[in-house]
Amino acid sequence: MKKIIQSGLLCLVWLISSCSLFETDNFEAPDVTLEGQVVDVLTGKPVFTDQGSEGIRVRLTELSWGDNVEHNPDFYCMPDGTFRNTKLFKGNYHITVDGPFIPLLRRDPNGKELADESLIMDLESSHQVKFEVQPFLHVEWVGEPTVDDGKVTAQVKVSRAVSPEDFRTKVEPMGGYSDDFLNVTDIQFFVSYSSSVGYRARDERWSSRLDYAGNSFDNLFGEAITLESNGTIPTGRTVFVRAAARINYDTPTGSGTKRWNYSEAKEVLIN
Amino acid sequence: MKRQRFLTILAIAGAACICLNACVDLDITPKNVVADEEVLSTEAGVNIYMARMYSLMPFEDFKYTAQWGFENNGWLNSTGIEGTGEAVNREGLSAAFTSERTAYWNKGFELIREANYLIENLPNYQENFGEELYSHYLGEAYYIRGMVFYTMAKRFGGIPLVTKVIPYPASTEEMEVPRSSEEETWDQILTDFDKAASLMMAKSPMEGYANKYVALAFKSEAMLYAGSVAKYNQEVSGRLTGLGRKTGVRVIGFDAATWKTASIRYFTESYKAAREVMQDGGYSLYKKRWAANDPEAQYQNMVDMFSDLSSPENIYVKQYIYPTTTHAFDAYNLPFTFRAPLSSGTCPTLDFIELFDGFDRYPDGSIRVTSGDQNTSGNYLMFDSPLDFFKDAEPRLRAYVIFPFDEFRNRQIEVRGGIYTGDTPIKPFFSNYGYNTADTRYQNLSIYNGSPKTLYLSPREGGSQEVVDYNGRQMRAAGEEGPFYDNGEATVTGLYLRKWLNTDPNAEGGEGKSAQPFVLMRYADVLLNAAESAVELELAGANSPDGSNLMQTATDAVNEIRERAGAVLLQGTLTSDINGRNVVRKERRKELAFEHKSKWDIRRWRVAHYEGRDGFWGETRDKNKFSNNENYRFRGLYPFFSTKTGKYFFDARFQWVASKTYGYTPLNYYFEIPGGEVAKSNVIDQQPNR
Repeated sequence: MKKIIQSGLLCLVWLISSCSLFETDNFEAPDVTLEGQVVDVLTGKPVFTDQGSEGIRVRLTELSWGDNVEHNPDFYCMPDGTFRNTKLFKGNYHITVDGPFIPLLRRDPNGKELADESLIMDLESSHQVKFEVQPFLHVEWVGEPTVDDGKVTAQVKVSRAVSPEDFRTKVEPMGGYSDDFLNVTDIQFFVSYSSSVGYRARDERWSSRLDYAGNSFDNLFGEAITLESNGTIPTGRTVFVRAAARINYDTPTGSGTKRWNYSEAKEVLIN
Repeated sequence: MKRQRFLTILAIAGAACICLNACVDLDITPKNVVADEEVLSTEAGVNIYMARMYSLMPFEDFKYTAQWGFENNGWLNSTGIEGTGEAVNREGLSAAFTSERTAYWNKGFELIREANYLIENLPNYQENFGEELYSHYLGEAYYIRGMVFYTMAKRFGGIPLVTKVIPYPASTEEMEVPRSSEEETWDQILTDFDKAASLMMAKSPMEGYANKYVALAFKSEAMLYAGSVAKYNQEVSGRLTGLGRKTGVRVIGFDAATWKTASIRYFTESYKAAREVMQDGGYSLYKKRWAANDPEAQYQNMVDMFSDLSSPENIYVKQYIYPTTTHAFDAYNLPFTFRAPLSSGTCPTLDFIELFDGFDRYPDGSIRVTSGDQNTSGNYLMFDSPLDFFKDAEPRLRAYVIFPFDEFRNRQIEVRGGIYTGDTPIKPFFSNYGYNTADTRYQNLSIYNGSPKTLYLSPREGGSQEVVDYNGRQMRAAGEEGPFYDNGEATVTGLYLRKWLNTDPNAEGGEGKSAQPFVLMRYADVLLNAAESAVELELAGANSPDGSNLMQTATDAVNEIRERAGAVLLQGTLTSDINGRNVVRKERRKELAFEHKSKWDIRRWRVAHYEGRDGFWGETRDKNKFSNNENYRFRGLYPFFSTKTGKYFFDARFQWVASKTYGYTPLNYYFEIPGGEVAKSNVIDQQPNR
């Protein structure tokens, strides 16, 4: 018995002989909160989006971390154009958003920074930020959607939220400019049982879209455009509908992702 | 008592030894480490060095799974399931080729170091070898380095071009190598392959070694990749290119001023290399069992060719030896009733078999299953046996894919989606076969779950099968080989893979029991490289590098492959336009299917993202038929039995069991650089568009 205890003690001494036993090895949990919203600089209205990698991307880079820092994992705005992160470490951050609006961070073809309208700030406790951006398009409902025989019909109006001249002034120095960038390529009509209807949460059976080649949309700006859902939606439940349009320009440049500007979601009873 | 005290003292002394670690330098040359003079001064030693390098080679074969990268264990190995459309399966790893779990980075540099070490140190021992052998060894090092650079470049674009042994330990400046531009990277690959080809012997000095023509064949493949990327990056919206944040180097894509000349330069090199293999390599297409106008012989010929090590078509083969070096391809990919322990890992799609000759078609080119002009109209076509549907199918297709009710290992592969007991003629089951209703399955149909019930399907095998009374006997709704709508372990598309599988009926099942070789490079690859670079050169208005007629070379190459395959030969010469190019691309899609090649073809043609997806199949197909603006999916071909007529009919429907969708954006054309590598280095750039 004694031998067992002795050898047990010896093992213990051996096991802890190289540890800093009484030093706490702990780091405080991140507790900084950052809330933000993305709004149209002209109207002050939120820029609607969809929550997913095709929506408005929020990218934080903790500059105070040191040299050669990589950005934090990206996250995405909620459909109403706001975002919230409650688990950030204290520090000095570069905060930027990418979405269906003029890029905040613009570089010329040689990588030289032309402008950076991102925020650089110290985050310590709880912070609210607002990004005033120039969205590409406004998508607004015209009247209320109607339902007939399991089909939802709605009208939307698409207008430019940034003038072509302004767009060109800011985007052309980034290189490779083409007038085609400004063309509206498609309007999506998303239908879903989910209130977070959008690109990700659409129901394939009913969602529809209108495609526009070249600049064929140019004389339809400001006009009421009729959208109709596909197939027949079963009666007795409500669905949510949303419209979205985009131009032929990817953000951030080179990502190949052309992001949509969205309308608000509307609830429709199918009867 | 005395004994006990002695033991206690001993224990304390022992413990003291363990706890009080000694710190005396032990600076003696170890006897068990082999030094340069032992390894690099004899042939046997160099063979060991080579064996080590070859064990690190990034071969995409039976040990490679696209979703996971080079993990070299072969777990769940399948071919063509990574969103190429060739096949799908039930597993989560059947997803688009947008990244690899284990990025090919560290392992690559490990091998590059070995190659550089040989290049720098072998000259010290030159006198120990004959001149030819000495050059060959150096050539191998350049070849291996070129292969690693190529393997990395097609994943990442510009990479750090480590062309010398980096001393360690050393200062940061000496050790850190930034990524080069993509153009410099491909130029370095070209240089390495050229150097290898000039140094290596025409025939491998030992089995398993490379040789001059192996280097040239891979050079033509690599340069075809480079030329395509230079050219087709331009067609991705916003030109797919960018400068690294830290270095300002064009780490992906090409400069607007140089892409065109670079593209022509690479296509030219690809063509030259392929032509040299064709003219001087002494390889030819495998036709040992082939006979003109004999589909059965042509089919058997193409079944045999992948396991025949004496094939004159094999340029470079990864061999396996039972029982020491084996793989488990059979264990994961055999039809359901052969499962040991798994099965059906590669289920070919209807979209894939639509590439092949010998089917009746609708006006839009898709395979006909009804009497109407699309599959929602008319009545189902009836067949005495499902095999009748395939009676004119191209022999090559039959060698790659097991059709329903065809023979495999002396067994009839009974694939049946279900049994229909309703009246004839039979109208199509669904009113809509479009992409947007792809998730409506057979089990959702009212003829299945409503009353009267006329459609019988089986959720699982064995006792879970639904049973139908037919002519006094009990008939199971699904075939013995599936498909079962709740069990993805049988076929999920109605088709099974035949290519690569061991055809021996007495073969033992199980993991680690297979030893078929994997053909990494064969003569047909080279022919298709020559054909594609020829068409691309003609399209770019460039001159023939060797004065040969480009379009004639391309036409002959395609026809040579088609003749062996039993396909319809081209009439006249290929046209030097997009149509001609697509003929070559489509032939490549067909011939090289299930060889881990198509995923790179789709990638270099830049046809996987939505805007480019019309060209996904090599030929032009309306993308909206198999894709929305995000994802794409593939179809199966399901045979059903009609009890009223005793005949079979087919329904062509989006993959029914374990339905898979695939997504791809332009971002994925260049894989992300491993985050840790970017974070720990001041010079390694992340992809600028990420």
